Amino acid sequence: MTSGKKTKATRNSVAAARSSVVASKPKPWGTIIAVIAVLGLAAGVFGYAYSQIHANNVKEAALAKWKPTDTNKDPSTQLAGIVVKDYKGSRHVEPTQRVAYDQSPAFGGPHDAQWADCTGVVYDKAVRTENMVHGLEHGAVWIAYNPDQVKDDALAKLKTKVEGIPYMMLSPFPGLDKPISLQSWGHQLKVENADDERIDQFISSLLRNANTYPEVGASCENSQFLANPAPFVAEKPGADAVPMDGGKDDSQTQPQPQQNPSTPPSGTASTPPSS
Amino acid sequence: MTSDETASGRPASGVARTLVISAAVLAVLLLGAAVGLLVKLPGSTGDSAAPASGSVDVGFCQDMAMHHLQGIQMANIARDRSADPEIRQLAFDIASTQLEQVGRMKGWLMMWNEHEQNISGVYMKWMDAAGIHGHGATTPEAGKPVMPGMATTEELTKLRTVAAGRDFDVYWLQLMLRHHVGGAPMAEYASATAGLPFVKTLADNMLKSQSAETDLMKDYLAKRGAAPLP
Repeated sequence: MTSGKKTKATRNSVAAARSSVVASKPKPWGTIIAVIAVLGLAAGVFGYAYSQIHANNVKEAALAKWKPTDTNKDPSTQLAGIVVKDYKGSRHVEPTQRVAYDQSPAFGGPHDAQWADCTGVVYDKAVRTENMVHGLEHGAVWIAYNPDQVKDDALAKLKTKVEGIPYMMLSPFPGLDKPISLQSWGHQLKVENADDERIDQFISSLLRNANTYPEVGASCENSQFLANPAPFVAEKPGADAVPMDGGKDDSQTQPQPQQNPSTPPSGTASTPPSS
Repeated sequence: MTSDETASGRPASGVARTLVISAAVLAVLLLGAAVGLLVKLPGSTGDSAAPASGSVDVGFCQDMAMHHLQGIQMANIARDRSADPEIRQLAFDIASTQLEQVGRMKGWLMMWNEHEQNISGVYMKWMDAAGIHGHGATTPEAGKPVMPGMATTEELTKLRTVAAGRDFDVYWLQLMLRHHVGGAPMAEYASATAGLPFVKTLADNMLKSQSAETDLMKDYLAKRGAAPLP
């Protein structure tokens, strides 16, 4: 403090001396000091603002990594090993039909008109894939596991992620090529064990992510299905199976032309309604 | 002040004076800009901003939406299974009201760039600061409900399979009554501490309408010669 006063005093005396010697050009010290003070304050405030915004951005980036937002619509694409495919929704098959799915377990494509109940349901027995895929269309995450490889503690861990948690379902999937496979509409991730941190990251990224499933707001409730779940079919689908681009669009009376399924055929207006 | 005196005495210092004044004006503008920036800082902003993750507003909307969803699920079971007009009417009221409220909460969560449901596995953590009700966070365990008042998987299965008629109606009333009572502290806490007025309003509204329904269900149970679940 003493030294501060001393420098100020020294500076004043120097200024005084200079103004007496160079009387022709006195410096407007008061103004200059005021300007420097204002500049210093401005710099301080800008610097503080920058550091605050920067810290906030860093914090948000870490939080937002697995959270879908306006600017990060599908965080799951950053997951190692994720498979992403684009599927059209709303194409239905009959309860007796099979779909020749292009993936196992399937995670999109034509499906049964009845969705598998996905209100946080733990299915003890394997369930027909055509119904499970419809649950995915409603925004659910389906955890499938190989019943020969995932048991006891590992299975209990998976159950706590599902039981009673809306839009989650768990079921055994006989013959699964990895111990655990996670499905959401158009997304799949296979992992080796129930402790893999990517399981929660997958769920965080995709559960009811309005950017990634076709029927935003659809319900997971289906008591009728829950009372009597359609059983899993182990045999490979035959030649009569519905192809991936097949199935009946709910909004159409006839099978869609394969090329542009989203455009209604212009000729159907003249077709007389059946019945 | 000093510059004024010198300027009047010496016309040659006009350039210096202009420079100094310009710098002063610039500095004042900078200061203004800096202050403007300061009042817009993240965290220091007021009501209109999205509430933070983990705030009462976000936590309430996420957890109450999930709590409501099970209420809707149970009400829908009554619409399927009960023949009693009184029960069917109440079930319709609960399902349609709560579904509408869930839609509001999920819409807000989407605007706030938040998950539409809690995916952390820890529920009601936003009530930790309370100390009022001493609930604190809950973590789901196998065979236990996720949040207070909620039915377990076993109880839901029983609701779907119990004999239709009086048995079903009574069991449904018991589960729904417990569900309403269990959710009340959440609504109470949010109606007192939420940051956004419209979240407060909704929580307060839930509290009032659900306590009226709670009384109604107690009457309905008494009328059927049954008591609430312990």
